[in-house]
Amino acid sequence: MILTPKILARLVAIVLLGVLLQLSFFSRVAVFHVSPDVLPALVVSLGLLGGTMTGAVTGFSVGFLLDCLLIAPLGGGSLVLLTTGYLAGLFRERFEIHSQMVAPLLCMVGTLFAELGFGAVQLMLGIDSTVSSLVIRDMLIKSVFAFFLGWPIYLGVKRALRPALVEEPAARRSRQPTVLGA
Amino acid sequence: MYRKQVRRRRAVLALLVIGSFVLLTITYGRGSNGVQRGVSTIFSPVQSAADRALKPARDLVNWFDSTFDARGRNSRLHTELEAAREQSVGAQAALAENAQLRKIVGLDHGGAIPSGYEPVTGRVIARSPTVWFSDVTIDVGSSDGVAVNDPVVNGDGLVGRVSSVIGGSAQVTLIADGSSAVSAKVVPLGVQGVVRPAVGDPGSLILDFIDSAKHVHRGQDVVTAGWRAQGLSSRFPPNIPIGEVTHASIEEQEAQQQVEVRPFADLRNLDLVQVLTGGSR
Repeated sequence: MILTPKILARLVAIVLLGVLLQLSFFSRVAVFHVSPDVLPALVVSLGLLGGTMTGAVTGFSVGFLLDCLLIAPLGGGSLVLLTTGYLAGLFRERFEIHSQMVAPLLCMVGTLFAELGFGAVQLMLGIDSTVSSLVIRDMLIKSVFAFFLGWPIYLGVKRALRPALVEEPAARRSRQPTVLGA
Repeated sequence: MYRKQVRRRRAVLALLVIGSFVLLTITYGRGSNGVQRGVSTIFSPVQSAADRALKPARDLVNWFDSTFDARGRNSRLHTELEAAREQSVGAQAALAENAQLRKIVGLDHGGAIPSGYEPVTGRVIARSPTVWFSDVTIDVGSSDGVAVNDPVVNGDGLVGRVSSVIGGSAQVTLIADGSSAVSAKVVPLGVQGVVRPAVGDPGSLILDFIDSAKHVHRGQDVVTAGWRAQGLSSRFPPNIPIGEVTHASIEEQEAQQQVEVRPFADLRNLDLVQVLTGGSR
């Protein structure tokens, strides 16, 4: 990813918009009694498009902002999301992405990883909470939501950061160009 | 160049991880700090605006969720209601049966059923399909000791007599049947007569052939007379309640020697009955 001041501003806007949407919309709606968590999917998308550094830094920023606005111990969310973003970026750097299903699948896996990570941070901080089958069910449903929301998030982020992205091979033309008068 | 880039990348990652742990260590257990208060103050108007702007969208999504939830709940409640209704109907039937059995026991303990009779409880399993309801079939028969002409009562009073019997069931001719005639008396006067069905009214009886010199009054009870003379005896033991006098005009008594009687037993809705077996046959 080619970082310019404009792209940096877009990244900041994406992070702010993502956190605001999560807190004002997604956290306050329930589908099948579970609220979707789009932030891991957003961080995974940024990692997939920008690489490890972009993934890690945006993950840290999203986590930090989230902890600030939720008045939670700072650092917990950052640690989890920076790891999620870094791993997504690492995947992008190590493997070729050929299928369109990779982004939503990684968003799903990333969300599951992040939810488990949030649980691990809770345990690390000594906050006792009972792990019931309901929590695991919620995590799985959140991951499924991330699969369906992952694709539009990925496309939206890709569109916003298009000028900064390294050009991909041009899409094959669907038909031959017509030569006038031929 | 590449190695330098990798080193820089690793350094940033390590910095972020260490930063996260440092932040955790510093802020854990201390409540809100200055940074959080500052960020909250800056973002609070934006959050408030976003909250208002996104409310319709939130309501829409939540409406779908609530609707799905309500549909599921509705279906579950319907199932529960059906189960509860079945239980309720079963309980009501059991209560009604219990009340009938209590009445029958009460009749027994009250001395209405004379000694020497062995009551056999049965359930009505079939009725005559005609509007006159003159015959019913019960689920006790000769194998239970039931015999032809045995009197049949329920918790309210006399119902009829057994007209035919087989091994496991018996046919009972009700006192409202055209062929029925029960010798009866009015208590406490002791005026005697014969209870017959009223023509054209299966729910009503007539106490006929009464002594016109003694006036019977409305509301007086009619019981079986249970006579015995010259080796012959009535098919019905004495003092089994039959009904209540409902119409007793003096002119009618003097001219036709009869009064109207309403049977105590609801002959249209019989369920549990007792056959008084073992009496004089």
